[in-house]
Amino acid sequence: MASAMTNPLLQVDNLNMYFPVREGLMLRAKTFNRAVDGVSLQINPGETLGLVGESGCGKSTLGRCIARLYKPSAGTIRFQGEDITHMSARALRPFRQNIQMIFQDPMESLNARHTVGDILAEPFIVQGIGDSAFRSKRVAELLNTVGLPARSATRYPFEFSGGQRQRIGIARAIALNPKLVICDEPVSALDVSIQSQILNLLVDLQSEFNLSYLFIAHDLAVVKHISDRVAVMYLGNIVETADSEIIYRDAKHPYTQSLIAAIPVPDPQRRAQRIIIQGDVPSAINPPTGCHFHPRCPRAEARCKAEKPVLRELGNTQFAACHLASG
Amino acid sequence: MFHFNPQTVKKLQRFRQIKRGYYSFLALAGLLVLLIFGELLVNSRALIVSFEGELYFPTYAAFHPGTDFGLDYSYETNYRELKHQFASQGGDNWVLMPLVPYNPYENHAPGGIFTPLPPSTEMQHYLGTDTTSRDILARLFYGTRIALLFSLVFMASVYLIGISIGCAMGYFGGVFDLVFQRIIEIWSNIPFLYMVIIVFSVIPGSVSLPLRIAILLIVMVLFSWTGMTYYMRTETYKEKSRDYIAAARIIGASNSRIIFRHIMPNILSTLVTFMPFTIVGAISSITALDFLGFGLPVPTSSLGELLKQGTANLRTAPWIVISAFSTLVALLTLVTFIGEAIRESFDPKIFSIYQ
Repeated sequence: MASAMTNPLLQVDNLNMYFPVREGLMLRAKTFNRAVDGVSLQINPGETLGLVGESGCGKSTLGRCIARLYKPSAGTIRFQGEDITHMSARALRPFRQNIQMIFQDPMESLNARHTVGDILAEPFIVQGIGDSAFRSKRVAELLNTVGLPARSATRYPFEFSGGQRQRIGIARAIALNPKLVICDEPVSALDVSIQSQILNLLVDLQSEFNLSYLFIAHDLAVVKHISDRVAVMYLGNIVETADSEIIYRDAKHPYTQSLIAAIPVPDPQRRAQRIIIQGDVPSAINPPTGCHFHPRCPRAEARCKAEKPVLRELGNTQFAACHLASG
Repeated sequence: MFHFNPQTVKKLQRFRQIKRGYYSFLALAGLLVLLIFGELLVNSRALIVSFEGELYFPTYAAFHPGTDFGLDYSYETNYRELKHQFASQGGDNWVLMPLVPYNPYENHAPGGIFTPLPPSTEMQHYLGTDTTSRDILARLFYGTRIALLFSLVFMASVYLIGISIGCAMGYFGGVFDLVFQRIIEIWSNIPFLYMVIIVFSVIPGSVSLPLRIAILLIVMVLFSWTGMTYYMRTETYKEKSRDYIAAARIIGASNSRIIFRHIMPNILSTLVTFMPFTIVGAISSITALDFLGFGLPVPTSSLGELLKQGTANLRTAPWIVISAFSTLVALLTLVTFIGEAIRESFDPKIFSIYQ
């Protein structure tokens, strides 16, 4: 809470990412997929922001915009005060050392034709850091840091288990000593027994290297374990953001409430008070009027259909975009 | 160091297990080596001449006029006659001729009349001669050589252009892709055979033989690369959207690094399976062009030209068509067997790099 006073590491303002839906002979874009539609957030140094939402809500797109894999349609991304929204490809290359990314499926994100040693040495080659002796030393160190034996360097990704592969992905992400790591569902492709190992590794690395995380997940239970603050996304918008302990105790937005109610609790005596929301996520190409959540919201009123709610502070650094929420 | 990915090693091992393809591969590789050093096997020049205590190796040397070996003419030595001469003289001089002592261009008509001669071991025309009394075995041998080399160079050029443009289309996408797709559609509808006929009716007769062959190759390549781009384009689109490319971009890798270090190695395995079939296609089309008379310029030895002669003299000289036809069939069968084995051993359904 005091951290809001310090300079944020990452400041995203009103970010839009519209993907044109091209049709017809001339491939003219008549409609747009509004994957990210006016998102603002900030991440402070050493902090973990958990970003949750259903599949297709735009959370991965947001992560990829921040990593500048996509060029945002509108809005600004500032990293340590520097505007990186329209940074040129040339300027972006050295800058990329600051923001790295861990991907969901390590088999997809590791090139199957390269050895683990090649994969981990590539960041240094691309950035022009050190000679080959330095690189092999760093590769060995990185493998050690993520808990893999040094002989892994000569082997190929498919020779490893899912959890080990994700460790390789993590080693690559921390190779360049980044300040911010975007974790795009880093554990959702793994077995539950492996998930906690990887989460603990991420927590350890955070304190060791003073990392900040943008932790994207569709599972609030996973996010709970790791996040300082949580932002909930629905159809391209952030609908609620609050400190981690507050949001799990006292969610204000009906969507967040239903997500939290769905977290399984290991207590057979407890009566589940599920808030079941109906239907699927609407299309981001043609989103509902007013509050995007109103067709599925159990508390929707006439106003929700007409007027789009904005994020309002409800006290205690808790913000929610809901007409009906009150502090 | 050049080392193979263990999956590639597995694929190669599997290729070796498919005996038919593997032995075809060995046979073709052996044939190619023989063909490259063909001058030592099929040639009118002697391998070794021992003349007055000195040894001569005329095969790859400049030409020796007859006067070099005590003959009374200054044009190139006829080594077959020299051999007989030395043998009848009974001195220390001797000549070692290649297995087939004829070159593909010489007209060897003992009676002075150009007429096809049937196969004869005595004359050392093992497959007979063609209508202008040239040795068929020599013509087949050098015809096969030029067909194989031609199709290898053809394949390399087609792949180079096809892969570069296809990958660029897939990688950059958007307007670039759209424009090139349209260009390719227009380009691939230009009739190839007419282009060959037009080009060769335009180039002057003074153009040298190697240049004519090169022009034919260029025309064929220019009208063949388009097919390759379809595969490369879609494969690149597919690979480009995978996360390992995003991972490479996020560490700052350049476009060329992503294309050459990341995308290429992942799509080239598909390409390997195409190669033998491209060769089969190239051999067939060059033979067809030769048969029609629009292919390799005369007097280059070619399978197609022999087939043409053979079909024209089906009754009088059946040995021409038989030998040309069997050579062509054997060649295409070998390459097809190799292709089948490669396709089988590189089958992505067996060795998937996906999970």
